[in-house]
Amino acid sequence: MATRAVEVVYRGIFQRTLARNIVRNIVFAARKDGKIGTAFGRYSDSPERNGIPAKQFAIVCDTALELEESLAVYEATNVDVTINVDDAMCKGIESWAWYGLQPINELTNSGGTLIVTSRQDADSLLEDIHQKDTPYDLAIIPSTVSFSGLWVYKDDHTDMRILGTLCKVCPDLVSLEAMLESIQEQTGSGTKVASVQKAFDRTVTRAVEPGEGNTETPFSFDMPGWKTMEEGLVIRALPQGAGYGGGDEGYVPGRSEVFKKWSTRSMRPVINFETCIKCTLCWLQCPDTCFDVTPDGLYDANMESCCGCGVCEAVCPVPDCVTMVSESQFNDNDSQWEAWQKDKDGYNKWMTVLVEKQKSETRTHGFHHVGGYADEINEMEEA
Amino acid sequence: MATVQDLPQIRGVKNIPVEEFYSSGHRTCQGCESALVMRLMIKAAGQRTIVLGSTGCMYVANTTYYSTPWVVPWMHTQLGSAGSAATGTAAGLNSMMRKGKMTQEPINVIAFCGDGGGVDMGLSALSAALQHDEYNLLIICYDNESYANTDIQVSGSSPWGANSTFSPPGSEIRNMNTRWKKNMAPMLAVGHPDMKYVATACASYGLDFNNKVRRALTSGGPTFIHCIDPCPKGWDYDPKYSHELGMLAIETGLWIQYEIIDGELTLNGPSRAIAKGIRKRKPVEEYLMRQGRFAHFLPEDIKKFQDKIEETWEKWWIPGLIPITPSQE
Repeated sequence: MATRAVEVVYRGIFQRTLARNIVRNIVFAARKDGKIGTAFGRYSDSPERNGIPAKQFAIVCDTALELEESLAVYEATNVDVTINVDDAMCKGIESWAWYGLQPINELTNSGGTLIVTSRQDADSLLEDIHQKDTPYDLAIIPSTVSFSGLWVYKDDHTDMRILGTLCKVCPDLVSLEAMLESIQEQTGSGTKVASVQKAFDRTVTRAVEPGEGNTETPFSFDMPGWKTMEEGLVIRALPQGAGYGGGDEGYVPGRSEVFKKWSTRSMRPVINFETCIKCTLCWLQCPDTCFDVTPDGLYDANMESCCGCGVCEAVCPVPDCVTMVSESQFNDNDSQWEAWQKDKDGYNKWMTVLVEKQKSETRTHGFHHVGGYADEINEMEEA
Repeated sequence: MATVQDLPQIRGVKNIPVEEFYSSGHRTCQGCESALVMRLMIKAAGQRTIVLGSTGCMYVANTTYYSTPWVVPWMHTQLGSAGSAATGTAAGLNSMMRKGKMTQEPINVIAFCGDGGGVDMGLSALSAALQHDEYNLLIICYDNESYANTDIQVSGSSPWGANSTFSPPGSEIRNMNTRWKKNMAPMLAVGHPDMKYVATACASYGLDFNNKVRRALTSGGPTFIHCIDPCPKGWDYDPKYSHELGMLAIETGLWIQYEIIDGELTLNGPSRAIAKGIRKRKPVEEYLMRQGRFAHFLPEDIKKFQDKIEETWEKWWIPGLIPITPSQE
């Protein structure tokens, strides 16, 4: 008699199909083991937005009664396995209807497993993942993070590799035999079955001790309940902006205190202040009002509110002046302009290294053109 | 004529006001062009403005529980009610000022609606609002070509053949949405001859859009601006291309940029250059093949799209606006 729960934490829209493939296939396979289960998305994540962290769950039980019992709670409050399909979310997530930062492993049970798809190693991931007071295991699937869109799915077998890993780390949930049989039945693809098996064989886990990981306290907010709301449900407007750093020059917009949006980001703009021609385009075209205007008329992306869409990089007319760099390279949200002001040579060196490194990384953020995904998958296979 | 604020045309991007009245803290998608419409709209209108929003992405994603990105007064109204809310607010301000309950001053009233709230449901309320020439109000339709908030259903503004949750391409029938996009702005311009100002716009051309908002707000009557907003979620593309796809929509001749000031039509930007023959239209294939919603298209579908664009430019009485031809008799 047992109930097993799995959550998939994913990027809204970009990884929705991926997450659905994972949770549905868990339940299909569990049925082959004579169990019963259900797969569902979190109601409060709908409607999803591109990039904003969301969750889907799979619950597997031995009996129908246990399943009913588990469904009596709105969503799982603890899970045996947390699957994180974008390693940038190891820094914590602010989901669409939630306030404050939720650690990626918040729901992971003592002795449970956190599965992450990442090119980083365990030590660098643990710089981001918040510490817990209970032990758990970390399993890394070494791969480029898989992003696609609402209509066209990038079928790079990430879902299959996660399912294979899952069978290894949580055999109580579903057996490998059942999974292989079910995948064959669902997809009719021998290569997918092979991907599941290969991932199962290659799985390595690393024990994470209590207290190990990021020691920062995740930010949180006290939101008013319905009894403490203002009359007429009035919500106070944001404050007006002011000069940069409180001075007379430059401009910093008033920003929301209760929603930061940075956990939506998997890449961030890195700016070369030396080559900037002050054309205003990055600032003007930013949908998130995230550029602060500095006293010297430059534009400094505010890392608390930037969601990493990359429009600034796309509109910038100067080569390599704005470059989107993987979030894994950073451990803070500090101002780049201030860093550059303090030590221009140091900043320029740091930036040049980052930008060069980024050029070798093939991280894509969704649909580019018809046939693009096939090219990306071919490249991955050759590499 | 209603009194209006002094909002001069902005000459050059460097003179765009730095102050923000729509700021960070909204939960829209990465690369959301509609959020950019909100930001640039209120940037041009300035602080003494009331904004009203009907249900849609720009309501739901902007104002999750007890939070807001707005610095100016903003109110939510029901899905089809952008027009009614605008008229009511403008009328309310007028009478408050007449009765001395408020200081006499011109206050901008802007109501926005998505294509679902404007092109479909709110059309009648919009039409009514545009008949009241005693009120100075602006209605902006941010058109992302679907009911994007509720996960992409077809609207009257969705293009022919586009994938959506209501029109998934199947093995038997490839193109489930068999309707062409409604010709919204010309319909309102033709149907409401007393309107002071009608324009189409795209936030990819930020300065142009800023100036259109200012021209609308200073025209002293009911006005309408229709914006095309590339939507990374529903159109299915990498969010960094939002700006580029907006430009492509215009450069391919699919979306036409114009202003109708007191009944006089002027094309602007690339659309003007295309009409004058200075610039060639790009093939629409460049635009279609960049979006997942058209990924199922075969060459014949692309041709059909291209032919439709040719027809709008070559055969219509007023290219891109009036699909009526006077009889030769």
